Amino acid sequence: MRVSDILTDSNFELLSNKSETKLEIKSFFASDLLSHVMGNAGEGSALITVLNNINVLGVASLLDMSCVIFSHGVKVNDEIIKKSNELGIPLIRTKLTTVSTILILDKIGL
Amino acid sequence: MENYCKEFKIQKNDIGNAGTVASLTKRELKRRGLTRDFVKTVTIGIYEAEINVVIHSYGGTCEVCIDDKYVNVTFKDNGPGIECIDSALTPGFSTASHYAIENGFGAGMGLPNIKSVSDEMELTSSKEGTTLHMKFNISGDSYES
Repeated sequence: MRVSDILTDSNFELLSNKSETKLEIKSFFASDLLSHVMGNAGEGSALITVLNNINVLGVASLLDMSCVIFSHGVKVNDEIIKKSNELGIPLIRTKLTTVSTILILDKIGL
Repeated sequence: MENYCKEFKIQKNDIGNAGTVASLTKRELKRRGLTRDFVKTVTIGIYEAEINVVIHSYGGTCEVCIDDKYVNVTFKDNGPGIECIDSALTPGFSTASHYAIENGFGAGMGLPNIKSVSDEMELTSSKEGTTLHMKFNISGDSYES
């Protein structure tokens, strides 16, 4: 599954540049605690979180994650979007809850 | 390959720059041809310790030294020290501030994560400051084939 596959569903909106959406997603990881993400998420995974600060991208970059999906429609500021474009990590936002996000991703082909 | 040794300053509450040491060390380890798994292990340890210095201490330094056999990392902060090291090493135990928790930290997993990823870990603390040393062994398997 690629990042672009998620964007075929209208619940998901791409916040960052289109250039990196061909990245492959190897797994999904949902958490709002960065130490849990650091300790448990795998390389190439997509992170689902409501945590909308710059450190999310720091962790995503260190772990070579494929994208970050912000659930619950959280606000994402320009600084985060700019950083994601620099790092080449796609940012996606959805109004869905974290649980609904996972259920829909499962249908798309998780 | 030549030895690498670098010292970094870490500022109190500078959450925006937390992860810089981990990120620069990751780059150096990759340049040396170490595997993704090895790089990830060291990176997790450094990142967690870096966050600890930012959110819990008055600031400090980190020294990263890499040779053919080991990655040695030493964090030193300027206090206020860890009241009970045993508690701090217990998964889930946290004294983090609201500020740290709001930023996604303070789950009480930092030191347990460091202990689990490093080959050796030494932690000493007093009111004057805390020193954390972690060591990662490099073997033939640590390099990309």
